Amino acid sequence: MYDLVIIGAGIAGMTSAIYAARKRMNFLIISANVGGQFLESGEVLNYPGLIKTTGAEFESIMEKQLKFNSINPRIGSVKKIEKSKNGYNLITDQGEFEAKSVIVATGARAKKLGIPGEEKYKNKGVYYCTICDGPLYKDKAVAVIGGGNSALEAADFMLNIAKKIYVINIMPKPVAHEYLQERIANNPKVELINNASTTGILGNGKMVKGLKYRKIDSKMKEYEIDADAVFIQAGRVPNTDFAKGFLKIDKDNHIEIDCTTQTSKQGIFAAGDCASGHEYQYIIAAGQGCMALLKAARYVANTR
Amino acid sequence: MPKQKTEKKRSHKVIVYSTPGCPWCHKAKEYLDDHNIKYTDYDVSDDQEKSQEMVDKSGQMGVPVIDIDGKIIVGFDVEKINSLLGIEGED
Repeated sequence: MYDLVIIGAGIAGMTSAIYAARKRMNFLIISANVGGQFLESGEVLNYPGLIKTTGAEFESIMEKQLKFNSINPRIGSVKKIEKSKNGYNLITDQGEFEAKSVIVATGARAKKLGIPGEEKYKNKGVYYCTICDGPLYKDKAVAVIGGGNSALEAADFMLNIAKKIYVINIMPKPVAHEYLQERIANNPKVELINNASTTGILGNGKMVKGLKYRKIDSKMKEYEIDADAVFIQAGRVPNTDFAKGFLKIDKDNHIEIDCTTQTSKQGIFAAGDCASGHEYQYIIAAGQGCMALLKAARYVANTR
Repeated sequence: MPKQKTEKKRSHKVIVYSTPGCPWCHKAKEYLDDHNIKYTDYDVSDDQEKSQEMVDKSGQMGVPVIDIDGKIIVGFDVEKINSLLGIEGED
């Protein structure tokens, strides 16, 4: 039996693990991958202490920090969590693990639009990661679907690559950091189309050729644009399916927590993008990862 | 005294199709480096011919694509890589 199991090895889970190791806790960190959303991030310019880095560089440093603290994340997926006699039982594809306390740091994944052509053209012009797949579209026309930070970061990333970037935003205007909005607004390659709902991906059967969208106004007319790639950055979905029915989850699928990261079950804490708070920043996830561990450690000590 | 058998590690032909800055591509190459696997890396953002080769082999354009002895893996799939290269999984 473990004192603690940490589910997830993005920045929140890795932060919890570093603190757990230094507190000499008997713990396990289990995750489908190591790195989480670092692996989809481009430039990171607002993490305190790091003037400028990239998701990949930041993740590399954190992996080194895990090694420095002799932490070896186990690769696996948690399918279910349930109460056990002495704590909680985690049912995973690597077996079952019992722990006195749990930190859920499972992050979030790209939201799919569920529109015609999206699945058909996945990796054939439809992508969810500009950093990985954007460079393939040098001097081409591309579209980014979304209007938040991720969408504008994606468009910003493509400024030096693509010849034309459409940003298809369902909202009346982007909701993103001001510096990103400035960069997009001031660049002639970018055509920002607000109040536009993407209705389908167009292709020739093999590869994407464009998309169609409907203008949200009194006429509701549909338009088509030509694009060789479509990057969908329309929000994130918390990875919390395994906890439904066991932990209290809000209407947007986040695990409900209080300001100490305590969930609806004593001894279970949640940190980062999977938890309620609705602000998706590395510094918040790291801070919550630390808080969750300190609270979990206190909880375990109090139950001895 | 019986002769000791010396096992020869089988060599593999490994090709990685990647783009610069792609974190999953970086992880895949780091994994191969950590296991002393030699490979050829093609930057498909800069090489139209290799980009088409990747599409022909994998039927899609997502990176990384890893060709191990002609068997194609899309993405950094550790289990498949281990299986094709005879690497034992880490607990």
